[in-house]
Amino acid sequence: MGVKKKRFAESALLHIVIVFITLLCVLPILWMCLIAVKPASESISGFHSVLVESPTMANFERLFEMIPVLQNTFNSVFTAILGTVTSLFFCSLAGFAFAKYSFPGRNVLFYFVIGTMLVPPEVGAVPLFVIMKKIGLINSLWSLIIPRIATAVGIFYMHQYIKDVPDELIEAAKIDGCGDFKIFLRIIIPVIKPALASWASVTLIARWNDFFWPLLYLRKQAKYTLMVTISLLPVSEGLSTPWPVILAGTTLVIVPIVVLYLLLQTFQKAGLMAGAVKG
Amino acid sequence: MLKTIKKYKMPYLFILPFFVLFLVFQLIPIIWTVYISFTQWRGIGDPQFIGLDNYKKILIDNMFWEALKNTVVYWVSGLVLILIFALLIATILNSDLLKGRVFFKTVTFLPNVCAAIAMGLIFRLFFDENAGLINEALQAFGLSRVPWLTSTQFSKIPVIILNVWRNTPWFTMIILSGLLNIPRDYYEAATMDGASKWKQFCYITLPSLGNILFFCSVTLTVDSWKLFNESYILPGPGTSNTSLFQYMYESGFNTFNMGYASSIGVVLIVILAIISVIQLAVRRRQGEI
Repeated sequence: MGVKKKRFAESALLHIVIVFITLLCVLPILWMCLIAVKPASESISGFHSVLVESPTMANFERLFEMIPVLQNTFNSVFTAILGTVTSLFFCSLAGFAFAKYSFPGRNVLFYFVIGTMLVPPEVGAVPLFVIMKKIGLINSLWSLIIPRIATAVGIFYMHQYIKDVPDELIEAAKIDGCGDFKIFLRIIIPVIKPALASWASVTLIARWNDFFWPLLYLRKQAKYTLMVTISLLPVSEGLSTPWPVILAGTTLVIVPIVVLYLLLQTFQKAGLMAGAVKG
Repeated sequence: MLKTIKKYKMPYLFILPFFVLFLVFQLIPIIWTVYISFTQWRGIGDPQFIGLDNYKKILIDNMFWEALKNTVVYWVSGLVLILIFALLIATILNSDLLKGRVFFKTVTFLPNVCAAIAMGLIFRLFFDENAGLINEALQAFGLSRVPWLTSTQFSKIPVIILNVWRNTPWFTMIILSGLLNIPRDYYEAATMDGASKWKQFCYITLPSLGNILFFCSVTLTVDSWKLFNESYILPGPGTSNTSLFQYMYESGFNTFNMGYASSIGVVLIVILAIISVIQLAVRRRQGEI
């Protein structure tokens, strides 16, 4: 009886804490959505902010008048999707080489790849701007895609996963006369689909939320990603942009990616970080 | 040499894209940064070589030291709070007493999905001195209103909260994947021997997570020293929230002092290198590498 009681108390405490944390995670997002549909006549201050008497889309309409929402959304979608697809391809290709081939210098090169993570490329922002200018990519969305089509983290992640693919599969394909690249496309890619899916969602979210690089490389409004435009909302009409309009903007940024994440999560059995890091 | 390359042409070809991109977009820019840091350059024309003048300026630049101090505050607070919260949440998510694990796992990850820039704007209203929900709640508990965004004393708190709120879920997931690898019978044996939950946590969980926690603190450190979005969107009064990396960006691209900005970049690289060496040395002394 004593043990059972103790287990019950423990379980209750556990659930109270996790529910509290869940509320901390979700409430700010819900609160934002509430304010985004508030008409200008209703108060947004303090506890009044949670009551919406007559929800309206007017804040979104206003937003569409203020900034080129469609153009900026297209820019964000374009870079996020193209960035993710190219990154998946080149990271898994390099991860495959490191995991399944033994070639001179393999280990040194692999540690080198991991070591590059310690120096963030951001510290070279000044010359990077000059380089991008020289190759004509300032104000081009490709400036956000090309430098990151093969990232160290991605290669590390894919390597961890591909390492566990049985060698027999590859040997069998080799005997059947498959070339190296064909083995990658026909054998490896199908086997690592779960890893590709979880890395795709991680990359997609990161690219969509990217702010520093677009701020650095994109210098006119038609080329801005959604994130850059939204960051400028509070100052775009002096200091007078109404809060509900600003929060309509942030809703436009946050809600689509949250919905996409929830969808991906339900389709994905492996879970977001399955097999990412092994102790 | 040529023969080996021919024989192993395919794997070298597969890893080539990374190394080309690394060369063009990471190595060359960093070497170039070191060069520009010895010059005066406003972005147009030729850089003028001025020796160590930029570094001398750093030593007496109050703004630099303030930004450095702010970054250390973000780094230490982020490292400690994020690791504690991530450990706590991951332990709960891993407990077999928990019902609805998948639901909680999915929902507690949500903050990491939300952009720092967008959340920062929300926080501005949230922490507003007069209209904000936080102050209203404080008042309901009989406390006085706090000027979260407008006083140098408090303005870093929203930045820290935003940083912790957004980044904890990522490290929760990594730590959780490590917890899943600890065999359950360790805990069963310990329970039989009468070890308390806390003792089990200290003597089984923490040591087993050694490598994972090391990985987390290394990535958290690099991320903290390039913190930009959170302090950019929640600037506080004047420069009171500016991070070192943000100061570098503003020196280079707002006041067009490219030489000075580059010298701050070099300082950042040196600091990160020193911290990395220390972290590795500590880990080595623990006998784990």
